[in-house]
Amino acid sequence: MKISQKIISNLKSGGADFFLSVPCKLLANMIIILEKDKDIYYSAIPREEEGMGICAGAYLGNKLPCIMMQNTGIGNSVNAIVSLLQLYQMPVVFLISYRGTPGEPVGAQGGMASVTEDILNTLRIPMLHCNTEEDLDKISTFANHAKVIESPVAILCNFNLMKDD
Amino acid sequence: MNRFELLNLLQNTIQDELVICNIGLPSQELYKINDRPNYFYMLGSMGLASSIGLGLSLAVDKNVISIDGDGSVLMNMNTLATIGNRAPSNYTLLIVDNGSYGSTGDQKTFTNEHTSLKNVAIGAGCNNVIECSGEETNENLRKAIADKNNSYVIISKIKSGNVPIKPLPLNAVTIRDRFRKEIGLVNYL
Repeated sequence: MKISQKIISNLKSGGADFFLSVPCKLLANMIIILEKDKDIYYSAIPREEEGMGICAGAYLGNKLPCIMMQNTGIGNSVNAIVSLLQLYQMPVVFLISYRGTPGEPVGAQGGMASVTEDILNTLRIPMLHCNTEEDLDKISTFANHAKVIESPVAILCNFNLMKDD
Repeated sequence: MNRFELLNLLQNTIQDELVICNIGLPSQELYKINDRPNYFYMLGSMGLASSIGLGLSLAVDKNVISIDGDGSVLMNMNTLATIGNRAPSNYTLLIVDNGSYGSTGDQKTFTNEHTSLKNVAIGAGCNNVIECSGEETNENLRKAIADKNNSYVIISKIKSGNVPIKPLPLNAVTIRDRFRKEIGLVNYL
């Protein structure tokens, strides 16, 4: 819970005030925290691509949106990222549980893990890797950076960081 | 009645509302009829006009109308479930259902066969789902906007067909900024 608390707190201090998630067991504690938080908007949604659209609308209405998802969600969202968020220059924070990184028990997660960073690089989306608790201190500045550069940014939380939280 | 005629008919009703308009010909036709800064033309991301409007309606108090199409809703049907569970009362989804993919050459969609978007929307949990003719759409949309306690999904059944039209001359960031200025978020234009 300590790691999840720190992540949410740093996202909020970076300006994020509108949260969506497509659940992942590594995000479960963050979802519990967000569901109790009256200062921000939070909802679960069925699909990441749709979430990119909802985030775009929330940004038009002056929110800094954060969508929480597995890295597989990037694969579901590529056109929405390029033809909506990047075309209109809209800041959105992607908080990604990086399934398929070392510690992962599910072999099938390895495929998307092996291409996730290549996809994000191809999309020119800045990445922050969180492998240790100290890395979490960079989240606040990184979330605010999305607003400064008017672009999506991606925070990748690896499996071992989250698994015992 | 086709889409162009419907959008023309709706002008008096929507001209002061925040409108998120679907990709392709719907946006091009709306632009040709009466371009306004409070119209957000979605240039890419087919399927997401309904979702963008939902996100906006959750962030502002003003009325928001998403003008979507049957082909586009079929592409992002899960968002009807999100709307059914989360749409605030300032949100209205208008689905222009002409049974065809108008922008790509009027190929038929499944609403021409067995699919009823009215039944899908009701099953997804949407309240106040109204299916009506093009002629009845204006009255229903006015009702939806006036109702401060409920969100609506209006499915307007019209004929397919388009008017010859050019791509939008506006770039995306211009659309974004003049739209946000309407909400009071941009002070440099």
